[in-house]
Amino acid sequence: MDTHFAQRRRRDLIVAGCLAVVAALVPLFVKDVYVQNIMVLTLMYAALSQSWNILSGYCGQISLGHALYFGLGAYTTALLFTKFGVLPWFGMLAGGAISAVIAMALGYPCFRLRGHYFVIATIVIAEIALVLIQNWDWAGAALGIDIPVRGDSWLKFQFTRSKLPYFYFALALACIAWFVTWWLEDSKWGYWWRAVKDNPDAAESLGVVVFNSKMGAAAVSAFLVAVGGSFYAQFVSYIDPESVMGFQFSLLMALPAVLGGIGTLWGPVLGAVILIPLTELTRSFIGGSGRGVDLIVYGALIVVISLALPRGLVSVFSWRKEAAR
Amino acid sequence: MTASPQTPLLETRGVWQRFGGLVANSDVSISVGRGEIVGLIGPNGAGKSTLFNLIAGVLPPTQGSIIFDGEDVTRLPAAERCQRGVGRTFQVVKSFETMTVIDNVIVGALIRNTKMRIARQKAYEVLEFCGLAARADKLAADLVPSEKRRLEVARALATEPKLLLLDEVLTGLTPVEAQTGVELVRKVRATGVTVLMVEHVMEIVMPLVDRAIVLNLGKVLVEGKPTEVVRNPEVISAYLGDRHAVGA
Repeated sequence: MDTHFAQRRRRDLIVAGCLAVVAALVPLFVKDVYVQNIMVLTLMYAALSQSWNILSGYCGQISLGHALYFGLGAYTTALLFTKFGVLPWFGMLAGGAISAVIAMALGYPCFRLRGHYFVIATIVIAEIALVLIQNWDWAGAALGIDIPVRGDSWLKFQFTRSKLPYFYFALALACIAWFVTWWLEDSKWGYWWRAVKDNPDAAESLGVVVFNSKMGAAAVSAFLVAVGGSFYAQFVSYIDPESVMGFQFSLLMALPAVLGGIGTLWGPVLGAVILIPLTELTRSFIGGSGRGVDLIVYGALIVVISLALPRGLVSVFSWRKEAAR
Repeated sequence: MTASPQTPLLETRGVWQRFGGLVANSDVSISVGRGEIVGLIGPNGAGKSTLFNLIAGVLPPTQGSIIFDGEDVTRLPAAERCQRGVGRTFQVVKSFETMTVIDNVIVGALIRNTKMRIARQKAYEVLEFCGLAARADKLAADLVPSEKRRLEVARALATEPKLLLLDEVLTGLTPVEAQTGVELVRKVRATGVTVLMVEHVMEIVMPLVDRAIVLNLGKVLVEGKPTEVVRNPEVISAYLGDRHAVGA
């Protein structure tokens, strides 16, 4: 049975590798900029949702305030670049580190809350941060920051002529987030997190320091989300508080994981691949004519999936496997 | 670190626990020797579960101290006590329902083994010891109640405890299931683990334990050999009322 487990882990890794290669080849055939844009966003949300899944899926601490870390990543990179000329690559790491520290500082009081109270706290904190940024003149206040274009280069991580570099970076980010999850899944942390989610009292009795486990999950999750935020800032080259720290980002990070399968390795990827193109397509095809129709379609899909497959889309695959046994 | 073999493994010294106006434990002083199986019995509301939680470190006592393996652990949290060798099960089973049986046990094994492969191996051995190896890849949620009780024991054993606290693991089982449970407890003791067990069902627990401690109304009523304890008039009156004790 030990080998059975090892086999499954290896198979996951091989499948992920193959998917990454296939994804990397897609832009060779798809030249449409609009479609490429959707692909970049899909990969970015896959990465974000995968990161969100570490704290909320595996460790069970549902956060609806992860827009805070996304925004922190975006702002740190943009501010360092525009004010001090620091390259986005360093900004990315700085944003990640700052977010991880802030996630732990916020976790210190918040992880004493359980269930819905924790969720409410995450929403409120993200909203407070949004208001603070909107009133912070040095950081552009409500107007935001225009990231000046200094020519196409990997060094400055700016590309004006082609979306391809962004695509490959987003792909790398999605792969990293997936791989980190894969690796943590079969580590002490992975087991501790799932134990904390299922039953904190029992976990504590088995030597799991519940509080520290949550702090660890929060730090990893916030770091990766902030890197995603940094990327987004470079990708859109203009940020304002609402467009990187709004509540919709918290939701858009959570939804792919929830629909795909919360607390699973493949759930966020699967969810993002279905949801994000759908969001973009409904918005462009029916969003313009009757405002809000896209949201109705989107909402309806979420309701249908949650009713039909409460354990997420990945449960379709595991159900087949069980039947074959 | 480890105290001499003569000292008891566990001692509670004048332990009190008050919940507001309610006194759950008053001046409880008990000791459990190394290698013993001790039964903690008493009618409903006697304070057995509270005492158990104090020993396991779920909450600190209002007053008094708890000595484990020669060290004062009164203020240590539950996870730290597990690290020092206190394993426990829960009266209402608390399996990790979304995890497989083996993964449940791995969580316990990880405290002594940092390498995943070794923790997994260890967990599998514990499952075999507890007769659950065939269910290793099932979800904990899919186990029947008696298996879930067994899983509680397996999980605690995986932490390699010196003292195993069993909270009503035999209650609510069929006679056959209870008998296999009794054998498991004997097997556990044979590996050198000390067992302190809370039980309700006297006829099952009495042949199993070396010594019984009877709690009533938060106090230690009697302690001694099981055969003596069951004949004690005070115990009978605590369980059945004064009318029955007069006859004894």
